[in-house]
Amino acid sequence: MIDIVGLIASNLIWILAIVIGGTLISISVHFIPVGGAPAAMAQATGIGTGTVMLAAGAGIAGIIAAGAVMAVNQNIWVVIGAAAVGAAVMLAATMIVATWIYAYGVGVMPVSAKVKYDPITKYRQDLYVSQGTEGHGIPTVAYVSASIGGLLGGLGAGLAYYALMKVSTLPVTNLNLVAVVSTFTIGFFFINSVIPSYNIVGTIEGFHDPKFKKWPKAAIASFLASIPLGILAVVAVASLASVGGL
Amino acid sequence: MEPLISMGVLALIGAAATIAGASEDLESDVGSQSNANSQVQLAPQMGYVHRIYNKAIAGEPVSNALMCTIGATGALVLIKHFGFSPLFALVIGSLIAAMVHGSYSVTAIMGREASQARFKQPIYLDLIRSHTPVIMAFAFLTTFSVMIVSYLMVYSLMHPFPFVLLCFLWGVVVGSVGSATGDVHLGAERQFQATEFGAGLNASQSGNIVRKAESGLRNGIDNLWFCSKFGGPMTGVSFGMVVFLGTWILVVFDPAEGNLEGWLSNILGLVIVIVLGIWNWHIEKETREKYGPYKEDKGEEVSA
Repeated sequence: MIDIVGLIASNLIWILAIVIGGTLISISVHFIPVGGAPAAMAQATGIGTGTVMLAAGAGIAGIIAAGAVMAVNQNIWVVIGAAAVGAAVMLAATMIVATWIYAYGVGVMPVSAKVKYDPITKYRQDLYVSQGTEGHGIPTVAYVSASIGGLLGGLGAGLAYYALMKVSTLPVTNLNLVAVVSTFTIGFFFINSVIPSYNIVGTIEGFHDPKFKKWPKAAIASFLASIPLGILAVVAVASLASVGGL
Repeated sequence: MEPLISMGVLALIGAAATIAGASEDLESDVGSQSNANSQVQLAPQMGYVHRIYNKAIAGEPVSNALMCTIGATGALVLIKHFGFSPLFALVIGSLIAAMVHGSYSVTAIMGREASQARFKQPIYLDLIRSHTPVIMAFAFLTTFSVMIVSYLMVYSLMHPFPFVLLCFLWGVVVGSVGSATGDVHLGAERQFQATEFGAGLNASQSGNIVRKAESGLRNGIDNLWFCSKFGGPMTGVSFGMVVFLGTWILVVFDPAEGNLEGWLSNILGLVIVIVLGIWNWHIEKETREKYGPYKEDKGEEVSA
């Protein structure tokens, strides 16, 4: 018989790490300028895809990097740093190419419709918004916001991945353990990026967008959702490892 | 692994990723499976009946992840159980994925167009016959390239993730990148070439997609022809950058050698993000100066 309470008590620190990771992912999604379908028609500022898919794409790039690093170096800061940087690089590469297409393929400049002046470059925005649109492209403020979002999201995903890998005493190169943990981390990332999309409702431009102020609600919701998720994951991985299932 | 061999493998991975990105975007352009599909779906409802392949099986990341996972599972079974050579197995795996994707495409367009019968949108059977093989061909290319990327990462660069899982993950990322970059060229430019160049889509024009081609009625292959000149290759560059840069920083500074190398690789990644950010800002500045504002500053006129 598996001692579930004992498992939870002995892995409390990792459950806490998973919960913090989930909350970080939730906050990070608010930073990522998501334009959704309108952005694909240069009708809204941001990156032209859905909230969850974009955040998940970035988070997954981070998890792939964290997995590669964790197999050879188990320093927690190096692993979660690699996840953060992996996610940020994915978003950066996507944004620069999207900017090429907006600038040279569509012929529009990056501009925000939510502020009159870009808080970073101080460029005037409202005059550069083409008629009938809510802005287009990825202005500097949105780029900076997305980079912060990528770093935070990757940090959260990396933390959850690291914590679950450390729950069992199995070697970190055990293929079954890696498969179970990375699958859980991806699911965990999806859940925590769906919760903030109720705040975002389609589009958000980044930290300068008025919708950004709603982030505490999503952060609390994700914090609460991550507690049972963290407990379930820790119990599942630890008990699978203890009965030789991994 | 020797750094030089790692660099060689990395170059191959980058090349395969570039092909994967380009073919992913072009596949979504032929079948209009992307964010730009919202306009194709909307058009008949606004009275603009069209002859464009209308399939959106799922969001691009999910759909590509499905394809890559099916292909990888098939390939792995052939390698492990039947002893096939990896390259041959990857080709057959991609073929299976392409066939599954083709059947999903046909059911998607049939369902979507049939549901729009009340808006007088016909189901063009010749369109389905001519476009589905093209969609399958691009799906094959995407799956094969993503599988090559994952295979090299797992068996040459010793990535710890299982092969099928890594294919699933890169499938999500390739869809995410393709949806965020190349689709803009289809959605904002090709579908609305009748509106003035150099502006976003006016909300009042929603659904009014271009339906006539240089000769006859425009179809998905006409869109493919246009997007293959800019949007597709750019998506390839984007996904190539994601895969290449993300792995390159770990090859240049290998975290296996110590924590210092681990930190240096992270710092190198941050430098890449900052450099691309400066480039983004530079393009913003350049386009603002060249294209100019859309409106006059009324506030200044009053004060003048």
